[in-house]
Amino acid sequence: MSASGSVGGTARREPHAPEATLGRKADYLHADSTLRSWFLTTDHKRIAILYLASITGFFVIGAVAAGVVRLALIVPNGAIMTNDTYNKAFTIHGVVMVWFFLIPSIPATFGNFLIPLMIGAKDLAFPKLNLTSWYVFMAGAFFTLVSLVLGGVDTGWTFYAPLSTAFSNTWVLPALIGVTIVGFSSILTGLNFVVTIHTMRAPGMTWFKLPIFVWAHYATSLIFLLATPVITTALILLIMERGFHIGVFDPAYGGDPVLFQHLFWFYSHPAVYIMVLPGMGVISEIVPAFAQKKLFGYRFVAYASIGLASVTFFVWGHHMFVNGQSDLASLVFSALSFAVAVPSAVKVYNWTATIHKGSLRLDTPMLYAMGYIGLFVLGGLTGLYLATLAINQHIHATYFVVAHFHYIMVGGTVLAFLGGLHFWWPKFTGRMYSEPWGRVSAMLIFIGFNVTFFPQFILGYLGMPRRYATYPVEFQLLNVLSSAGATILAAGYIFPMLYLVYSLWFGRKAPANPWNAKGLEWETGSPPPKHNFLSPPAVPRIPYDYPIQAQEAQDQHG
Amino acid sequence: MSKELADGVGVARAGHFETVAQQRAAATLGIWAWLITELLLFSALFLVALIVRIQHPEATVAAAKHLKFWIGATNTVVLICSSLTMSMAIEFSRIGWQRAMVRAMLATAALGGLFLVLKGYEYYADWDEHMMPFLGSRPFALAETPPARLFVNLYYVATILHAVHLFTGIALLLGMTWMAAKAGFLSRHQNWIEVYGLYWHFIDLVWILAFPILYVVNR
Amino acid sequence: MTPNHAALELWPAAVSGTATETDLLILAFTVLTLLLTVPVFVAITYFALRYREGSEADRSPSGIRSNLIEISWMLIPFLLTLIFFVWGARVFIASKNAPPDAMVIEAIGRQWMWKFQHPTGQAEINDLHVPIGQPIRLRIISQDVIHALYLPALRLQVAALPDRYTDLWFKADKIGTYHLYCSEYCGTDHSVMGGEISFMNPGDYQDWLTHSGAQQGKVAAGRTLYEAYGCAGCHDPGSSVKAPSLAGLYGSPVKLADGRTVTADDAWLREKILNPNGDRLAEGYKQVMPSFAGRIPEGELGTIIDFLKSYTAPASGKAAQATP
Repeated sequence: MSASGSVGGTARREPHAPEATLGRKADYLHADSTLRSWFLTTDHKRIAILYLASITGFFVIGAVAAGVVRLALIVPNGAIMTNDTYNKAFTIHGVVMVWFFLIPSIPATFGNFLIPLMIGAKDLAFPKLNLTSWYVFMAGAFFTLVSLVLGGVDTGWTFYAPLSTAFSNTWVLPALIGVTIVGFSSILTGLNFVVTIHTMRAPGMTWFKLPIFVWAHYATSLIFLLATPVITTALILLIMERGFHIGVFDPAYGGDPVLFQHLFWFYSHPAVYIMVLPGMGVISEIVPAFAQKKLFGYRFVAYASIGLASVTFFVWGHHMFVNGQSDLASLVFSALSFAVAVPSAVKVYNWTATIHKGSLRLDTPMLYAMGYIGLFVLGGLTGLYLATLAINQHIHATYFVVAHFHYIMVGGTVLAFLGGLHFWWPKFTGRMYSEPWGRVSAMLIFIGFNVTFFPQFILGYLGMPRRYATYPVEFQLLNVLSSAGATILAAGYIFPMLYLVYSLWFGRKAPANPWNAKGLEWETGSPPPKHNFLSPPAVPRIPYDYPIQAQEAQDQHG
Repeated sequence: MSKELADGVGVARAGHFETVAQQRAAATLGIWAWLITELLLFSALFLVALIVRIQHPEATVAAAKHLKFWIGATNTVVLICSSLTMSMAIEFSRIGWQRAMVRAMLATAALGGLFLVLKGYEYYADWDEHMMPFLGSRPFALAETPPARLFVNLYYVATILHAVHLFTGIALLLGMTWMAAKAGFLSRHQNWIEVYGLYWHFIDLVWILAFPILYVVNR
Repeated sequence: MTPNHAALELWPAAVSGTATETDLLILAFTVLTLLLTVPVFVAITYFALRYREGSEADRSPSGIRSNLIEISWMLIPFLLTLIFFVWGARVFIASKNAPPDAMVIEAIGRQWMWKFQHPTGQAEINDLHVPIGQPIRLRIISQDVIHALYLPALRLQVAALPDRYTDLWFKADKIGTYHLYCSEYCGTDHSVMGGEISFMNPGDYQDWLTHSGAQQGKVAAGRTLYEAYGCAGCHDPGSSVKAPSLAGLYGSPVKLADGRTVTADDAWLREKILNPNGDRLAEGYKQVMPSFAGRIPEGELGTIIDFLKSYTAPASGKAAQATP
């Protein structure tokens, strides 16, 4: 390896693979258009598209459920629908959004498509297992939707016992079975990613040349593997309790309902990092590309991803500060929750430093990335409020929590998803989307999001509890404001669905690298050929070897 | 155990891998990753059983007294022997003795089947002794000690889950044995035996954890 | 008593020293939050403008060692936030350990109502009256699922578990009436499972205990039980089940299917609730009412019957009203 670092100016670049000189029919998207070739594909790129289509459908279902919730809350007295209908609406919103949209969104779509490209491989390690994971995902969705069609489930996405096991009269079992099944889809995807990243990197592609997107997905996959089995056990026990009353969560038989909470949150807290880490990976690709500048603090950002995936396993009890657990446990979980904020802060500061002295273009992906940074910071810091024990006693289970996690999940993950979708759209489809519509939608979503969720912070500290179908009349103004924001947000979501689909037929044909971005995925055609690269790709000397380099410690890259 | 493969024994490279070494490494890492997830699944279950034991010691001991210790102990030996035959199958696969390997695999499946037969008998005995609290029709023998009911139910959840894994394992093993008996198998898919063998050892390991946690420490 | 918050306030009332300290903690933390985030937002906005592609800004590397920057922005914010961890932990621990001389009030939660039992015997449904100036400890338990008792004016909440007691203690120093909520989702009427907590001067509290603790709100308590047990769901107007209206029923004659006419008195109402299959009504009412035998404790049964005594007109509007 060359020992001299690069000092400003243009990095010496290897000659890259020639532009795809294939005819249109030979890229992965257009070669072979039979149903069989799609539904029995083992090509990671096609599987990514299968996931993209299905998660979009589930997003719509979850969003409609959210619409029902916000509609109900326009009036304080529950006049629009029964309490039971409301409870089913927020439950299905949570279940569908968490397990059938947020968790798979970036990993199963962008991760599947891009990881082999980014590391210079022809596919993932286990292509057939990859297809299996999609079918398992759809099987889980089937059972969950059965529950919805039969009449819904009203336990909340958290399924706390004994409400879910002994008191709810709704279709809990199909929902539990669906969620148990979909967990296996996560495990298979995570397994595939871990093995691929370890064993299939192109010659010369060392760990510290990998894009942060890959690091983020590696860290996410560790969580997939280590956390998901525990929720599987928790759900099996819940199913046994509801079906056979085995007694594990029933005090009358020596069981303990709080034990379920421990098992549930041991998975579900790391799960929220499954929902967050991939988005951070996306932002780490977009920001350098639109600043045309190397990512600042690459090693710190890489280590921060692993740090997040580790510490996240030790903070689950911060969901349980007020449920009667011991003071010592609460102290430990609170302290560790403060610690887990540090790696996230590291990333935010590094993205900001990357923009410093860059050469910025504010195209749609960058607008989403900048929106992400702002909203994620707000969401993350409000998490620290919740981690503070005395404050938690006031705002636990209020709208403050609802606002906090929507700032991260929507202001964070959904924005990262949309930013990534626009960034890599040319690569996936070979078409450019309409940039003006992209910018308008991004701004509409940003505005709609804040109008929807910022008032909820206020509602929370004013004392409005969550999962309330009716509420005191003095909260109506803020609720109406929030619901109004939700309509703006909904409009914002619809526009991309329209102009992106439009571009599939009428968009300008995309070049291999429309953004002048770095990364091996840009060294092949748009869309890529079936086996990713026509000739083995040239691994860069350093990652993010953009024209503008920061003066950093010489030993950053070996 | 020799790590070198005999002549004529090897792995046919799949299209998306660059080298056979890469393919083998991926398969091995893949099965280890899968087994870690399975270990966590069972560990969470065993942890719940241990919590019940810590919170309700007398009821747990009362329930465990009704477990069939000697069937459990015999089954432990049976599975350990099956791991031995599986290891033999792996070794035979490395040195290219295909017929011996097939016989070792069949022996492994037979021992696994023996475990299931003994377990089935054990469940029958449990049923006979009114130790199936989830059956409304047969009043539970220890009904006056409610936590005992919980412990017994957890015993069923854990052992049934293990039995499902064992049954799946035997089915996969028989399918693989059928393929492995064909000519040319060892030159193309030798590492399948090694990868599968890890899974079989894992099923054995789970039982080696389950037996003390459920049967032994509570006596 | 109407709560003193009919209009939307920007900041909820704090009625105890702990509540006030929690507010101080929140405000101080907000200051730190702004210190940590505003520079980031300003920087991003400034950079986005100054370093636009094509601008003349100086882009030469600044020569600062990045490891030092990285360690600094990891450690300094973390240590600053730890101040709040410690502060929050101290307030929290103090709020979990009641002084030994605290007055103990039992709180029992169940779908979908709260019952509070004063040490002198008075019971309240959904509402709670307490004196200021002395430590009060609530000993909380649930009869079914996990609930939680949330008192925003005190900045406190704690779960109500089905198998063991949990505690919440406070010493209020301001009078007033504020919201009392259930804050752990518990099923259909989770959002109406609440009422008001009234902080009273000790003298007023004693008066209340003596005079109105028993009677005041008894009709309201009865109404709550009438709704909580689902009576309103069938017997109120607008129900899809055409159950006979109970308004004005008490003391009136009732025609039975076997030809007799009886008077709807205490005993008859009690019997009909516990055994609806007996004494079937004439005039085409299909008997679908479930029996409440074993489901309503005797005391509450009496409260419901007392309510029916005074129930002369059905309430208009939905049964599940928001609590004022």
